[in-house]
Amino acid sequence: MKKKYALFPGCLMPTEQYAYELSIRETLPLLGVELVDVEGFSCCGEPMKSVNQLLTLYLSARNLAIAQKHQLDLFVPCAMCHLALTECQHVLEKNPTMKERINGMLAAEDLQYTEKRHIVHTVDLLHDEIGIQKIKEHVKKPLQGLKIATHYGCHILRPSELGRPDDSENPQKIEEILKAIGAEPMNYPQKLDCCGAPLLANLPESALTKTGQKLQAIQEMQIQGLVDVCPWCHKMFDSRQTKAGETVAVKLEVPVLYLTQLLGIAFGIPAEKLGLELNMSPVEKLQLEAAK
Amino acid sequence: MRRIGVFVCHCGINIAQNVDVKALTEYSSHLNGVVVAKEYKYMCSDVGATLIKDTIKEFKLDGVVIASCSPRMHEHTFRRVANDGGVNPYRVEISNIREQCSWAHSNKEQATEKAKYLVRSAVSKALSLEPLQPSTLKVIPEALVIGGGIAGIQTSLDLANDGFKVHLVERDPSIGGHMAQLDKTFPTLDCSSCILTPKMMEVAHHENIELLTYAEIASIEGSIGNYTVKIKKKPRYVDMDKCTGCGDCATACRLKDRIVSEFNQGMGKRGAAYMPFPQAVPLKYVIDDKKCLFLTKGKCGDEPLCKKACAQQAIAFDQKEEIIERKVGAIVIATGYDVMDPALVYEYGYDQSPDVITTLEMERLISSSGPTKGEILRPSNQQKPKSVTFILCVGSRDETQCTWCCRIGCMTALKQVYLLREKLGEEIEINVCYNDLRSFGKGYEEFYRKVRGLHTNMFRGHPSEVRPMKENLKIDIFDTTTNKLFEIKTDLVILVPAMMPRSDATEFSRLLHLTLSGDGFFLEAHPKLRPVDTFVNGIFIAGCCQGPKDIQDTVSQGSAAASRAATILSQEELEIDPLIAMVDEEVCTGCGICVEVCPYEARTLNERKRIAEVNDALCAGCGGCIAACPSNASTHKNFTKKQLMNMVDDIM
Amino acid sequence: MSIIDLTSMGEPQSELRKELNDRLTKLQDEISDYCFQCAKCTSGCESHKLLELEPHKIVALLKRGLLNELVNSDVIWTCMTCLKCRERCPQRVAPVEILFALKNMAVASGKQIPGKYTGMLQSILSIGLIQDIQQVATRSNKTMKRDELPLPPLSKPTDVAKFQAGIMKIAMEKV
Repeated sequence: MKKKYALFPGCLMPTEQYAYELSIRETLPLLGVELVDVEGFSCCGEPMKSVNQLLTLYLSARNLAIAQKHQLDLFVPCAMCHLALTECQHVLEKNPTMKERINGMLAAEDLQYTEKRHIVHTVDLLHDEIGIQKIKEHVKKPLQGLKIATHYGCHILRPSELGRPDDSENPQKIEEILKAIGAEPMNYPQKLDCCGAPLLANLPESALTKTGQKLQAIQEMQIQGLVDVCPWCHKMFDSRQTKAGETVAVKLEVPVLYLTQLLGIAFGIPAEKLGLELNMSPVEKLQLEAAK
Repeated sequence: MRRIGVFVCHCGINIAQNVDVKALTEYSSHLNGVVVAKEYKYMCSDVGATLIKDTIKEFKLDGVVIASCSPRMHEHTFRRVANDGGVNPYRVEISNIREQCSWAHSNKEQATEKAKYLVRSAVSKALSLEPLQPSTLKVIPEALVIGGGIAGIQTSLDLANDGFKVHLVERDPSIGGHMAQLDKTFPTLDCSSCILTPKMMEVAHHENIELLTYAEIASIEGSIGNYTVKIKKKPRYVDMDKCTGCGDCATACRLKDRIVSEFNQGMGKRGAAYMPFPQAVPLKYVIDDKKCLFLTKGKCGDEPLCKKACAQQAIAFDQKEEIIERKVGAIVIATGYDVMDPALVYEYGYDQSPDVITTLEMERLISSSGPTKGEILRPSNQQKPKSVTFILCVGSRDETQCTWCCRIGCMTALKQVYLLREKLGEEIEINVCYNDLRSFGKGYEEFYRKVRGLHTNMFRGHPSEVRPMKENLKIDIFDTTTNKLFEIKTDLVILVPAMMPRSDATEFSRLLHLTLSGDGFFLEAHPKLRPVDTFVNGIFIAGCCQGPKDIQDTVSQGSAAASRAATILSQEELEIDPLIAMVDEEVCTGCGICVEVCPYEARTLNERKRIAEVNDALCAGCGGCIAACPSNASTHKNFTKKQLMNMVDDIM
Repeated sequence: MSIIDLTSMGEPQSELRKELNDRLTKLQDEISDYCFQCAKCTSGCESHKLLELEPHKIVALLKRGLLNELVNSDVIWTCMTCLKCRERCPQRVAPVEILFALKNMAVASGKQIPGKYTGMLQSILSIGLIQDIQQVATRSNKTMKRDELPLPPLSKPTDVAKFQAGIMKIAMEKV
């Protein structure tokens, strides 16, 4: 049975983190998910929350309203977008006055938010809706016990009272997906530490220090690679790994992939289709392309 | 010819300001059936009471109407006064001209007119009131105490020494409760067993106490003064008369040291045949029917080793569950508390490392009869710790877990700090992370001062998490006293968990229609004035089942509950309020709807007579059955439809 | 009011405090009054070690109404929005949300917005996204853009005028 979702790309993935989008479009249809491309989406507003929260609410609301117009549920691969849209929905449902105010502004674009939408992220889509069994069925090249650490990030785990894709203190869904594709998930004390991305806007050096510290800790253990599920986290750990290393004065050589890239490898999809050459971290160390 | 007296109260200016009491009194004196009407400033006072009594005698009254405040205030008093004066106390009618008249209106003329209507209808009711007699019920001078911890033990001893027979029911194989698990008690550092065991022994040997261990309450029926209790005795599979407590069965048991010991809070192991703890009362062995191979699988090797080892031939696998019945006059509930599972505050690492334990588990490590014989060893590697860290308020004062303070956490942590310093010496590092330090009781502050003097590192703040590292545990804590972030690397973390009601408290409360407070503990009738009473007459609560408290407050409550129960048990008979429902036997069709509807289970169907009956002691006079009865057979004494309709007619 | 902060000799800003609490209750349910300064938030704060952010202190200052110094400070911009403080607080206070409100107030009072926020805001106003399509490096030292990849066109507001009209209304509003 096909599950249909509007793909909400956000800003960072479609303009910069192309590998995430490529790997999503390769893997999810195999698992029975139909992704609909909808016109007219904008930024979710989360990066603007520090400047004007009303703007954030408005931007998230308009995206929900667009999805409503198309009568589609939302698949949101970016963790920050997922939180923004979920929180906006929560606020509008709880606060009728705010809902009225926002709808008043949305009218300028002929949009209205009047009903709740079902919103999923990569993690709960894969684990809860598609299911481990189905993922296992599509594995053609199990990863032979590759020791992988998971980075969930902050925005898909907290705040738990809004309902998040996984448990805030002991998330295990990515670990289970990794096991299903033949990898060996590795626990580590810094698992719940932040990547630092939100500080990139105004304190980039501190942001990179955070990134570098976490990668350093991972590097010091017997861990072969790191998977992440958010374009911001990946931007820090992968695209900026070298700079992060310079900031903490450590040579960092940690292979970092999107979960969906690793999934694609296990499904037998060629590496170039999964955007692996866009990863700046040394992914070749994992020898994933061996034996086609 | 009836002779009613009307007494109008001014209630200071509460009534007199808005109602012309003189005019009202004058008006009342001319009403049909009224022979005299008087007024006074404070009818509820001694002078007022004397006025009523004298008037009754002078005018030979047979009924009284008091126009005053709400009956919820002084109805009881006025009934007594009338009775003293010689009028049947149930021929007293109160007309509420305060809350329902003078306090509700501001136009004096209109309010006075209304008051006249109210008094007139009250008089017509008074004319139809029956001179009811309260029935009595014989009190069974025996008590049921549920729970054999220190609260239940104290209550039982007090009642037994008062001369009443006590049935003490405890669901574990031994009495003693949580206090038996403690090593020392604060602030005196008395050895817990040393002060508890003599009381336990006294209970075991007291001629007035029937000790029923390894037993649970199956059902309770009846009312104050007369309860019928069914008790389920679980089979020990050990003959109590033959067992000498020698322990050969436990030593021989095939599952010896393979089952997690509850008494040792999971820090140690036992076999399927076991003694709960060395000072258990009764000092008899018991076989765990959920783990014993013979009982669960029907086979234990070639033959059960315990049976083979027992010289007294006390092993009895053929024992069955037994239901016994007891009749008692009062019940005291002393079922104690449960400790919150600290894994619920996942970030503190209880489920992530064996070196994160609770204070109760630490208590078992400290105890010389515990799983490590009193050695303090890290569970992960059985080595002595070089650094231990306490974290207080885990799950307590937490809006996401238990919102209340556990009351004993601070003192327990301080006590353990003292004992650990004693056991582990000067070199080890002891850290305490606290939010507020509550050392409120007698001698507690002195104890806290002593602990501060023991080179204890006190950090004021809550850590965000306990992070298990390879060799030890890392805790970052912001200390608000120095405004610095400290990183603690420690070997053993002790969490002070919240104190919760028993996991089956809600279920248990249904046996007795007990109310729970918002936090799930049993609700006291009044937090200040009636701390051990419940809203159900004849049932009392004592100890931590009512709310978190330390041993001395528990013992105080135990004695208090005994005293309250004794008030009932020491009377031969109790009066039952006659203002309750009754059945018109001519009209009742025996349909049974009232039985379904009654929330107090006061209605039964008499199968032989095919009519409903009211248990006078249980009926609370709520009126539910009266509304529900389709044949108008159910009425309320002195509140019949006819009486009430007469009042309405009079007002109209 | 006769409570004076001796270090700044200022009076508690009850107006600012009221405005902050109004913002907070409109957008969230968290109330700062219940904070009992356990500092669990600061103990776990991802920004504390690097940047000395003390969320519990921010809440304490809010309770006292000493907002002026906060709104004008740089420290409020150091929050990493990791949300651990909101998640773990035993009294359901959410320092992170208080910080968002403080930052909003700083912007609204005309203080200069630090870093790249202005640039992102301008980009949203013109194309609806915080940045346009980027040319990124590949590991083999080449470059790549979206249109060189098998990906559909970018999703962004189609009628930009209407989109901007909607947003302009917000500039007029107060949260």
